[in-house]
Amino acid sequence: MNDADGAIRRLYRQRPRSRFLRLSAALLLALVAYAWLGGDFGAGGMLSPRRLANVERFLGEIRPFPLQGRDFEPAIFVRWLGEVMAEKGWHAARVTLELAVAAIVLAAVGGLLLSLPAARSWATPEPYLPSPRPPGRWRRASWRAVVASARSLQILLRAIPEYVWAFLFLALIGPTAWPIVLALALHNAGILGKLGAEVVENLEPQPLRALRALGADRRQIAAAGIFPQVLPRFLLFFFYRWETCVREATVLGMLGIPSLGFWILDARARQLYDEMLVLVLLGALLVIAGDVVSAVARGVVRRAA
Amino acid sequence: MPEERRGVGPRGVVLIAIALAGVWAAVALELAPQGLIPSSGGLRVARDLLSRAVSPALSYEAEVPPGTTPLLLKAGEAAVATVTFAAAASSLALAVGLVLGFLGSSAWWAGDAAGGEGRWGRVVQRGAAPALYGLTRLLIAFMRSIHELVWAVLFLAAFGLSNLSAVIAIAIPYAGTFAKVFSELIDEAPRDAAHALRAAGAPPSMIFLAGLLPRALPDMSAYAFYRFECALRSSAVLGFFGFPTLGYYLAASFENLHYGEVWTYLYALLLLVIAVDRWSGALRRRFVA
Repeated sequence: MNDADGAIRRLYRQRPRSRFLRLSAALLLALVAYAWLGGDFGAGGMLSPRRLANVERFLGEIRPFPLQGRDFEPAIFVRWLGEVMAEKGWHAARVTLELAVAAIVLAAVGGLLLSLPAARSWATPEPYLPSPRPPGRWRRASWRAVVASARSLQILLRAIPEYVWAFLFLALIGPTAWPIVLALALHNAGILGKLGAEVVENLEPQPLRALRALGADRRQIAAAGIFPQVLPRFLLFFFYRWETCVREATVLGMLGIPSLGFWILDARARQLYDEMLVLVLLGALLVIAGDVVSAVARGVVRRAA
Repeated sequence: MPEERRGVGPRGVVLIAIALAGVWAAVALELAPQGLIPSSGGLRVARDLLSRAVSPALSYEAEVPPGTTPLLLKAGEAAVATVTFAAAASSLALAVGLVLGFLGSSAWWAGDAAGGEGRWGRVVQRGAAPALYGLTRLLIAFMRSIHELVWAVLFLAAFGLSNLSAVIAIAIPYAGTFAKVFSELIDEAPRDAAHALRAAGAPPSMIFLAGLLPRALPDMSAYAFYRFECALRSSAVLGFFGFPTLGYYLAASFENLHYGEVWTYLYALLLLVIAVDRWSGALRRRFVA
């Protein structure tokens, strides 16, 4: 028994330790502590008597308007719901879906194009096989610059939130669907490009090396070797990101394009809290439906792989 | 000569469906390429905005009353507020998400974790456990399906502007996402240690805590850190709704046509996100080696 205890103690002492990990953990804990202690997040501000009265009023007003001050009658509720849906619900849900689809298709094209120059295995003077004449220093440097600029572009696209992109584009091209589609497409192209580049770099090199040995150039390797191999993984990412596009498209309407978010803000401004709640729940349903569709599609892609 | 493959495989069908869906959406939204050309007013904004990209403002572009915090300090304060909101929200979401993630993982309920011997054990196994598991999954889906900005609008309508409501608005969908991903990671973690512990006669709670959880922990930590980066972006955007984060000042400067200041705040956000992105990349390399 003593032997075992000793062995356990020895193993415990020899466990891998990293100063970087410990420092990071300490810093994160300090950050969280600072946020809660210094960030003015007390519940007092939220629960003052005036606020509570406001909450009570709010809870009263989310009851459907024709049912306020009387007993619940399903027939009245159904008619009211039908009116809200006919007036804005269906249309808003359709616009939300269209925005998400248009944006993710654009993002996929952009992401595919961005993933190649960001992959160190492809964007090099000697892709997959050393060339007979070693490339000059200048060619090496210029390919390194290609990779660096593709990656910086991806980071820039990813780091700026969709909402900010849409806000800026709205001022540039006016209130059409474009600002929202562009904003969603750019942000997601950055993400898909990064994920795609990682997949390209992790591909089995043998088939690509063989293509190269047969004399294929970089473009031909991409079309005949890389694209078919990358496609299944890329489609998985595509559907994952489409889910988030549906979520974001709901909200980006708040900037003035009639997706669900637009009508949610509109209902709030006119204090029609009952309608607002219906639209919020409709958005939730749409997102859940999108998750289901995406899960089914990912299943098809996986089985085909 | 090998037989040539004819027709379209399932993957081809998916690709064609995607292309058709894209065309349908573009037609329905009337997305013509000429719609991308800015109006003359838009062109002026674009020129003015882009020309300041290389020269972000270092001090205010308009007269400010004496005693106003200098611009760079203001941007720093807004960045700190953005981090503060994000840290509070993701820590809250992490705590809730861990609990819901355990309850929503099938490994937690898989026979031995919930059950026990005897009549009560069976009642828990057959009735309570599946019910609780299903309810948790439903709750997770519901929390996730409403965007943080929509939660924020709901809270603003109910409570008015308070910092805590912004934190809770971010924390609810993030907790749902944490719970979903954590439960999947726990369920997919290698079972070797858990099997060994069970063979040695360890109680179910120990099998879960000492056998399953440690195997999933590196991926869980890496994911939590990635969500912190997302929370930074969400927290910045909440500024557009009146909370004192970077989005608030960015929108105000833009509306006052102070494009140099817009870039100052944009670069502050960019630096913040890139710094956390680098940090999390370095952590992941050490963690998930």
